[in-house]
Amino acid sequence: MKLSDRVQDGIIILQPKGKIMGGPDASLLHTKLHECIENDQKKVIIDLGQVDWMNSTGLGILISSYTSLRNSGGELKLAQVTDKIQSLLIITKLVSVFDSFDSVEEAIKAFK
Amino acid sequence: MSAEIVKTILYFLSGGFLIFLAITITRDSFSSRLNRVTGAMLGLAGLGPIFMALGMVISHSATVPINFEDSTLYSFYHLWEFFFPFLLVFSWIYPIDRFRNFRHKRLLYIVFIPQVIHLIVVLFFGNLTQILAALEIGAGEEGVSTLILGPLSRLLSWLLLLVSYVRTNHAAVFGIVNLLYVFTAIYFLESGRRYLSNPRLLSQTKVVLWGTRIGLGLFVIARLGSTILPYRFSENVTNSLLIAALLCGAGIFIFATIRYQFLDVRLIFRQSFVYTITSALLVAVYILLVVQSKQFFSPIFGEQAELVSYAFIIILLLLFQPINNWIDNAIRSMFLRTRSDHRNIIERFSRQVISQFDPAHLRQIIEETLKTFLLVDRVHFVLFNDTINEYATVPSDEYPRQVVIERSDMMLRGINLLDNPTQIRALHDYRENSELARILDERRVRLILPMKDAKHLLGFLALTDKITGYRYSSDDLNLLGVLSNQMVTALTNARLYVESLERIRLQEEVSMARQIQLDLLPSEPPKLTCSEISALSTPSRTVGGDFYDFIELDNGCIGVVIADASGKGMPAALMIAQIQAIIRSEVTNGNSIPTMLKHLNQQVVTTTSSEKYATLFYGELHPDTGEFHYSNAGHNYPILIRGDGSMELLQVGGLVVGALPHMEYQSAKTVLGSDDILFLFTDGLSEAMDDQEQEYTEDRIREFVHSHRNEDACDLMAHILEDVLAFDPTDPPRDDTTIVAIKMNDALEYHG
Repeated sequence: MKLSDRVQDGIIILQPKGKIMGGPDASLLHTKLHECIENDQKKVIIDLGQVDWMNSTGLGILISSYTSLRNSGGELKLAQVTDKIQSLLIITKLVSVFDSFDSVEEAIKAFK
Repeated sequence: MSAEIVKTILYFLSGGFLIFLAITITRDSFSSRLNRVTGAMLGLAGLGPIFMALGMVISHSATVPINFEDSTLYSFYHLWEFFFPFLLVFSWIYPIDRFRNFRHKRLLYIVFIPQVIHLIVVLFFGNLTQILAALEIGAGEEGVSTLILGPLSRLLSWLLLLVSYVRTNHAAVFGIVNLLYVFTAIYFLESGRRYLSNPRLLSQTKVVLWGTRIGLGLFVIARLGSTILPYRFSENVTNSLLIAALLCGAGIFIFATIRYQFLDVRLIFRQSFVYTITSALLVAVYILLVVQSKQFFSPIFGEQAELVSYAFIIILLLLFQPINNWIDNAIRSMFLRTRSDHRNIIERFSRQVISQFDPAHLRQIIEETLKTFLLVDRVHFVLFNDTINEYATVPSDEYPRQVVIERSDMMLRGINLLDNPTQIRALHDYRENSELARILDERRVRLILPMKDAKHLLGFLALTDKITGYRYSSDDLNLLGVLSNQMVTALTNARLYVESLERIRLQEEVSMARQIQLDLLPSEPPKLTCSEISALSTPSRTVGGDFYDFIELDNGCIGVVIADASGKGMPAALMIAQIQAIIRSEVTNGNSIPTMLKHLNQQVVTTTSSEKYATLFYGELHPDTGEFHYSNAGHNYPILIRGDGSMELLQVGGLVVGALPHMEYQSAKTVLGSDDILFLFTDGLSEAMDDQEQEYTEDRIREFVHSHRNEDACDLMAHILEDVLAFDPTDPPRDDTTIVAIKMNDALEYHG
């Protein structure tokens, strides 16, 4: 997994690319999120448009990102959730937990 | 041959021998003070007999025989007396360099004053008396200055008297002075031994001291007999004693050099000693044989004797090389292949360390080898410590505290660049603000021995000066270089060994965990009249994060669980063990399914981190009625194929357990009729992947189960596993895979 990030309208947009499978991926995303939380940038969008595949550990990373942001008063939204991940979210019923949007712009709009 | 000629030759030989030894020793390591002093001492000792021999040549020369003692040569003969001050210096620096810490090194020259005076008195006696006499006369003149010059004049006349006395009796006076030097030197040499504890040094010193004792003892006897004692030896006795003294002293020194590495003379020089001595002896024997051969053969071969003797000489010449080689080899094997020979040190060291895997013991062997064979005084280890992931000093009795060295330490960076043993002064540029440099200074470290494998610095040895105070020779540095390579291998082996032990221990633990996990799974599915059940769980590693369970409840129902913890291996296995225990205790307490899941979720949330969760399906089947209450906590939808071929997915429930706190769960109820199939699985089955990275998918599972709905549970499970294995033959499977298949039978109809 590769991770790029940008800021738009004061919202952090993280864009992982490839497969989210735990191990180093988890620490990469965690470090980034903790950086954001420490810098008081607590509105985060994870853009999943470039993610081909995600296993149970990858889903665990999303859950813990959601939890740590919420615990520090922030908020996480997902954008461009692929069908594969969407079905994973549906099966695990996490679809009721995550706010997901078709595009990053919609997610940004939802923050305002 | 007259006795005089033999004596002359012997003097020449012994003198030449000593000078040869002196040159070799000095040349081998000119930078070493001990080598310089020993060389000077032996060279001067060699000058004595050379001058004596020259004197004999002069006094017996056919044309103008001159008495040696009247010649100018005799005056220069006294040069050799400088042997005594050098002997004294030698006694201060051997076996321990006690002069090293002496502040006023220039005061050393005082010990040469008596010999300088002797030389002046002997060489310039005529000029000296003239000058003194002139001064005395000048000082004795009448005038104002008498008051001042008077006492001076008296002093000068005494001095003149003294010089004349010394000149007349110089042999006895300086003989006594020299003997005092000898006794003092012997005293120092003997007292120096007390500082020694190293076995190799002790045996070496013992031999060297015996050489000195014998040589000096014979010399003292000869001297006392010829000049000082009232009884006088004959000249022959004195000469024999002196020659014996020279040969014994020099011989034993050579022996110590060859056998005990006295002066750390390089192997090649020690070999050249052996070679020179054996060749000289052999040549002497040959000359004797050749000279005598004609006389020996003439009575036997008569007129042909000359011819036979030539043939004999040719045979002798042919044999020279093999005989010389043979003697050379014999002597080498006796003297050179000793414990202190470098090849032997390396061989012995590698033999010791190759089978040693205990790091502490290994360090001990390294330390002992360096102390015994290189006479290193103290060895300090600085090694990379795997536990703290930093370089740190290894505690010793002397410095029991482990000091961690910062990675940014300049000195450590400097050492990291080294490949060979290096004097610490060469790292002068890296001293700035370096804590390591301070530590090394405090421990008086002289030499750094880096230990590097292909890429990394494993650490280094910091060596102090040698016990003797001598410097490290280039031979020592070469040896240290080779030893450090072996140390690297040994240390790496030891680390790998410890790691492999650790790995074996972990593997044992994991297989024990696997056994526990197998014991936690039901040994066989419950046998019910209403249904036939098959179940299987295959971990992708030794232990897995999936499980299934069947629980007999008090109301006659059978609880069915299938669960999949996120992740794999040991962490997932620990989590499912916890989940299984909680489910069992919750349901046997009679809690409803939603309550049970709520409690379970809450417990898992509080005991694990937020990225750890599990998907789970739980249902309770009433064997008599076929009623099935269930709840799905984020698990892959179980497939229910009705007897008529229609399909339902059991979705009702709630969120995965362990992700978020305070979750509520719903449950649903359905009734299982005859020939219905309930198929539960984990994502290991649906996410099996072919070589094009295409997943098996849930849809394909549904189709497969649907098309095989007429098979019994056991066959269905076997066939779908076959199909998945043909799709993705990875063994063991990529992910933990668990299946539970329940096929309802006709028995239900009787009760339903």
